[in-house]
Amino acid sequence: MRLPVSTAFALAAVTLAGALVAGVSIRSSERPGEVRDPWSPSAVGEALVRVVTLALPVPTPLEGQEPTPELDPRALLREAGDNDTGSGRYWEFYFTRAIYSEYQGGWGWGRRARWATDYPKADHQFLIVLNRLIAIDAYGGENAVRLDDPEIRRFPFLYALEVSRMNLTEGEVQGLRDYLDAGGFLVIDDFWGERALQNLAYQLNRVLPGRSIRPVPMDHAIFNTVYALDEIQQVPNVGNGRRGGPTTECWGCEPMVFGVFDDRDRLMVVINWNTDLGDAWEWAEDPWYPLQYSTFAYKMGVNMVAYAMSH
Amino acid sequence: MEGLFEFLFKYRPVLFQEGEVVLGTTWPIGILVGGVALLGIAAVVTYGVTGGKARPVERTVLATLRLAALGVLTFALLQPTLVISSVVPQRNFVGILLDDSRSMNLPGEDGAPRRAWMEATFGPEGSELIDALSERFALRFFRFSAQTGRVDGIGELGFQGTRTDLAGALTRAHEELASVPLSGLVLVSDGAENGAQPLSEAIIPLQAASVPVYSVGLGAEALVPDIQVSRVEVPGTVMKGTAMLVDVVVTQRGLAGRTVRVLVEDGPRIVTEEEVELGADGEPTVVRIPLTLEEVGPRNLRFRIPVLDGEAVPENNARERLVDVTDQTEKILYFEGEPRWEMKFLRRAVEDDENLQVVVLQRTAPDKFQRYEVDDGEELLGGFPRTREELFRYRGLILGSVEASFFTRDQLQMLSDFVGDRGGGLLFLGGRNAFAEGGYAGTAVEDVMPFYLEEPAPDARAAFQSVSVSPTPAGQSHPVGQLGGGSWDDLPPLSTLNRVVRLKPGATALLTGTAGEEERIVLAHHRFGRGKALGLPVQDTWMWQMHADIAVDDPRHEVLWRQLLRWLVDGVPDPVSVRLGRERVEPGESVELSATVMDSAYIGLNDARVTALVTHPSGAVTEQSLAWSVEEDGEYGGSFLPREPGTHGVVVRAERAGGLIGEASTILQVGPSQEEYFDAGRRTPLLRRLAEDTGGRFYTPASVSNLPEDLRFTGAGVTLTEERDLWDMPIVLILILGLLGAEWGYRRLRGMV
Repeated sequence: MRLPVSTAFALAAVTLAGALVAGVSIRSSERPGEVRDPWSPSAVGEALVRVVTLALPVPTPLEGQEPTPELDPRALLREAGDNDTGSGRYWEFYFTRAIYSEYQGGWGWGRRARWATDYPKADHQFLIVLNRLIAIDAYGGENAVRLDDPEIRRFPFLYALEVSRMNLTEGEVQGLRDYLDAGGFLVIDDFWGERALQNLAYQLNRVLPGRSIRPVPMDHAIFNTVYALDEIQQVPNVGNGRRGGPTTECWGCEPMVFGVFDDRDRLMVVINWNTDLGDAWEWAEDPWYPLQYSTFAYKMGVNMVAYAMSH
Repeated sequence: MEGLFEFLFKYRPVLFQEGEVVLGTTWPIGILVGGVALLGIAAVVTYGVTGGKARPVERTVLATLRLAALGVLTFALLQPTLVISSVVPQRNFVGILLDDSRSMNLPGEDGAPRRAWMEATFGPEGSELIDALSERFALRFFRFSAQTGRVDGIGELGFQGTRTDLAGALTRAHEELASVPLSGLVLVSDGAENGAQPLSEAIIPLQAASVPVYSVGLGAEALVPDIQVSRVEVPGTVMKGTAMLVDVVVTQRGLAGRTVRVLVEDGPRIVTEEEVELGADGEPTVVRIPLTLEEVGPRNLRFRIPVLDGEAVPENNARERLVDVTDQTEKILYFEGEPRWEMKFLRRAVEDDENLQVVVLQRTAPDKFQRYEVDDGEELLGGFPRTREELFRYRGLILGSVEASFFTRDQLQMLSDFVGDRGGGLLFLGGRNAFAEGGYAGTAVEDVMPFYLEEPAPDARAAFQSVSVSPTPAGQSHPVGQLGGGSWDDLPPLSTLNRVVRLKPGATALLTGTAGEEERIVLAHHRFGRGKALGLPVQDTWMWQMHADIAVDDPRHEVLWRQLLRWLVDGVPDPVSVRLGRERVEPGESVELSATVMDSAYIGLNDARVTALVTHPSGAVTEQSLAWSVEEDGEYGGSFLPREPGTHGVVVRAERAGGLIGEASTILQVGPSQEEYFDAGRRTPLLRRLAEDTGGRFYTPASVSNLPEDLRFTGAGVTLTEERDLWDMPIVLILILGLLGAEWGYRRLRGMV
């Protein structure tokens, strides 16, 4: 997210007032089963952020709003540059970005769909480093494909981010379900807060009914496939990272890696929650962006690719 | 024809074949030639100078006829004589070998059992044949089936022998009669040979000793109507759950166009069945039966066609085959030079197969490797194996996109030895660093590949070609080509970066593909040394799993890889292996046992202590030592004599310096054989060749009356020389009268008389 901080604070103030007037209750249930003091400082801060989030015009899935029909991802692709990948098989690996539908409306920056956040610079930069870190035959350009496009089945690695407003069409649900059941691998990144997670859970439940989202333990292969990672770092967006400010985009949000597993306990979907790997890839060359976050983001990215290509 | 010859020439042709024609006159040859010449000149001059109205042509014809008559007369005056060697009566022996096998109970040409003629001819009542033979020879009788023995009369024959060992019978009879003057051996049989010893080897001593064999063929050449299971092609050992194709060859006479069922039975259970429409009479029909065996252990499979009405030989409608179904996990090393989707989807395809363990070594960066499915932390810790012991513990090897320069020269040779010496299966996958593009031309590994390498593409990416894949005829009949019954037609095309178009001699292509106008090899294999090598120069069979045209639950990708990898390691030997000379014998029949013993680097060991423990059906265990064969490193041999019917378990243990090198096991089925009922028609060509190759003759019951006289003039045994006049042959008189009559007739015709 690249929401200016001043704007965010202004919004927070306005919406907090509105929320209090409207009698929005403050609950603390960040993690199921966890009992917390609702009036502790962290809970209050968290609640404030939650209220900000709730106040944003993001409809709940139950509201059943229509996806944005006017969104033309191809136009965005043309904007971004050449996306010609030929037959799709001149290269072994394509960093493929998922184009998905989302809820209508927004706060002004909706003119650029969220799937295209950091696009295509993050993709390019990640591929440059990926090609240098492991002996992979990776296409260096961007490759964005709609979830309901049959072509997506040619690219078994898929990256989607900013999924808080994701609202898949039935065609996309079917396309993603077949993709994952056939052996495709989906990486989710850069979405923050419980409500966004709930929306993702709702969407994934439509795609893979009956499969739950579970935390990925640190001894899982995805943390050890190429690089041994012993902790999950919260990777800040470029604004927070440059400032040296808080790494989180929501009050008290801790980074976590969730997964959706198949019947043989292999990861089908890896979910990077409350972290922004994409910005760390995109701004790795920025001298003001702390290298430690980019290092972690690249390690995690390489591990995810290596895991996807071997399991 | 032979009768006409005998009428004209006084004697049967065989006498002229065995004897020599000489001129018996005592006159000096010069005088004879001179006299004949004078007569001839006189005749020519007479016809030439005589006046008259005869034309030159007429004179020439008359002179020729007269000269011919003079010539025949002269021949008769020269006293032509046939000189032949004839046996001395009662000084020579003849061995008579009587077929005592079960097939003699089958119907002969006249509908009666084949043995009926034998019993009538050689029975106690006697016969003209026996009388004629006894007149000149001392007769010695033998009966033969699986074994051969002397008998005093046909009453000792039971016609229950389960094998017809012609070679053994001839050898044994020759040996028994080696010390007496032997005029020949008379073999009375239907020729349904099914002995272990090659017949060609048995006749060499007979040829050397000039002992002719006179064969008497019994029975009809074709039994009608009849259908038989002629052959069953099934591996002796198979992994549990492996889908295989069994070829059952069915032959028939008198049933062309009929549809029959071929049943596969495992004990009382019908495993599967297949319907087949029979071809033309005498033409073999191959029935291809898909078969998967799930029950572990030795399985005695029976391939049976239900008996049809009126069949001449119902006993040949079934064949049994012993298949050892194993349940061991076969370890395959897959070395991949870079992260590739092919590796991921290959692993997923075979992960449910409990009999396959694909250990993956994947290079992720120079000198950095990822390992998957290893047994412990030590396995492949140093990267690709550097010793034969380390590499040869795998039974199969898959080589992905990894350049030849990655390997040391020793490692390249080791890869070659993995197939050639160790007998492993090696599968080459396509990729940007595989085959010619990987620099394998000129290396030891190139020799292993089943096809020739072309010039490498200067830019591998530019060599990209889409390939539409289809099975070759050989592929259609191969388990790998079956796809579990799925179709090849709707599979999406694959791609390749390696141009492969030329097979090596002896290699077989199972899959080919069309890339533009060019036909490419997609899957080929060949034997290399003790093992086999497969080449699959495409890079993305995973598209058959992921492509949008493929249903998510489509099993073809999994089936292909399971079959391919199971086939890759099928028949790969262990350091200790055992083989039997025959998988089925009769009680009391000796079994050859051979074993190969190698160390962990698959180098033959000659100083091992090798023992075979045979578990008999009664539970008794006997131990048999096997000795080094001397001819080849690591080869040991021995034999044992099973006496009980039933399944015998054989375990071979190899030890060295007190330590166990390894064990191998096999099974042996002991019981009466049904072989006598297969191909039970009279084998005239075999019996005729046997006779002709030894200087004898072939007879049927209709022509056997000539046998006693033929035996007289074989030249074998104690003989004396006989001279028989030929001047009084009817042909001489007929020729003289004919020629003179022709001359007279010609004169009448031309008005000269």
